Amino acid sequence: MTAYALTLSHVSHAFRRPWTGRGSHALEGLSLALLPGEIAGLVGPPGAGKTTLLRIAAGLLAPDNGETWVCGIPVRAAAARRLVGYAPETPVFPPALTVREALGYYARLHVAGAARRALVHDAIELAGLAPVAGVRAAALARADVLRLALAQATLGGRRVLLLDETLSGLDPVARRDLCTRLGHLAAIGIAILLAARDVTALERLAGRVMVLSGGRIVRAGSLAALLAERVLEVVLDAPPPEPPPGFRVTATGLEAPLAGRTPEAALALCRAHRLAVRASRVRVKSLEEIVLDVHDAAR
Amino acid sequence: MRRRRFGTNRGPFLFYTAPVHFLDCVLAEWALVRPRLLRTRFGAWLGLLGAALVWLGSRGTDPLAIALHAGALGAVIGAAFSAGTDADRAALAITLTHPTTPLAVACGRWLAAVTAASGLTIACLLALGWDTGAALAGIAAAAAVAGCALAAVLAIGNGAAILLFGCMTLAGLAPPEEWVGLTRPGVLRLAAASALELGPALWRYRDIATGDMGALLHAAAWAALGVLLASGVAMRRAK
Repeated sequence: MTAYALTLSHVSHAFRRPWTGRGSHALEGLSLALLPGEIAGLVGPPGAGKTTLLRIAAGLLAPDNGETWVCGIPVRAAAARRLVGYAPETPVFPPALTVREALGYYARLHVAGAARRALVHDAIELAGLAPVAGVRAAALARADVLRLALAQATLGGRRVLLLDETLSGLDPVARRDLCTRLGHLAAIGIAILLAARDVTALERLAGRVMVLSGGRIVRAGSLAALLAERVLEVVLDAPPPEPPPGFRVTATGLEAPLAGRTPEAALALCRAHRLAVRASRVRVKSLEEIVLDVHDAAR
Repeated sequence: MRRRRFGTNRGPFLFYTAPVHFLDCVLAEWALVRPRLLRTRFGAWLGLLGAALVWLGSRGTDPLAIALHAGALGAVIGAAFSAGTDADRAALAITLTHPTTPLAVACGRWLAAVTAASGLTIACLLALGWDTGAALAGIAAAAAVAGCALAAVLAIGNGAAILLFGCMTLAGLAPPEEWVGLTRPGVLRLAAASALELGPALWRYRDIATGDMGALLHAAAWAALGVLLASGVAMRRAK
């Protein structure tokens, strides 16, 4: 039997107004399972249910229906809290504490005595916080706040990390550094579920991507499978008055998904419409385009 | 029969680990009082309050009243700086993803507020002339008011601390009969009288100095109720 690090089974949740009882569905019968060492990405438009899913997986929110287990333990059990780490989208830390003190405070909730110092040291090294270890949380830059959120989430030998937008809003260098560190964590068997608005980070990191829309997983698969779809880009001398069927107008000309047809056939269609093709190229569809397709289809 | 050696993988006794872990979590919260005292305005406010009270005491104010005010007002300031700032309230969300409980968080922060207020009470009495009864009454007032203030600041923010500070300063020492006589009979008067009668009030805790067990129990009940309410609020805030 496969030992999953995180399992969500038919999880539904609705946010209801206190008096009327009316509400909107944040998640509808969602199921997923994460293997140890796997990095999975959650993408989707705002309001798709990414944060709600992570909060349920972290045990912070009780779902209306469904079950969640962390390493086989129900997530609401106290023992599960030792196994699952959560970094929220906008992490806030006690402002008077330095990075080292904040981690010491969280570490004290896991272990007592001398082991705490080792835990803090490891977390600082792991998140690359050594240069700012003596800086107060209130004075940290955004990238360092996210590193601190990652560090506290990994404290105490957590087996599952739930990261909400931890890679979003970072400069490319900081993002690459964090991606490398997350890769190291996955290599030692920690399962990572990462929600991201900025999907370019996921293209480098996640082995599997789930696209959420309206509280449901509408597309899921390995990154290679999702990015298998190809797109033909056509550069034209002049913008067309009307694009051929299946094409859409871009800044430089046209583009169309190559779903089941050859580039030659698509280019022949352009010529049949008397369009002056200057150049063309075939590229893979980006994750961002997949998310946008899902968003457009849902509207 | 084989003896089990220490360090084997047998799980420790539940009845031993659960309370010890709870105490560890309480101490983790309590230990934050030092950086808050030294690095925020917490220490400055306490110092200012202490200086004002000692000055009042040197001008002839009753040392028992000084002790009660030091305890109660110090506890309000302690609760405000332990849990009342927006950042501290928001930070609870991360704290509760770790293996702690809202009750441990509330206990630790209550203890931090009481420690600071008790320190202030003792310092004031040392400066004015030691009185054990007054010190006990001040510490009991600190415990009761810290519970009430902690629940209020966690739920509403530091606006509640300002309100409570004002109430304790102005209406703290006079019994309800003196205050309700100022308004006409009605719902407002009934509500004010009930609040003064039931809430943590310094006029009641005066009697602790003379060994009144009822007043001591009232303070203990408010401390416990406040911590329980605060833990409930903390749990709701983490959701």
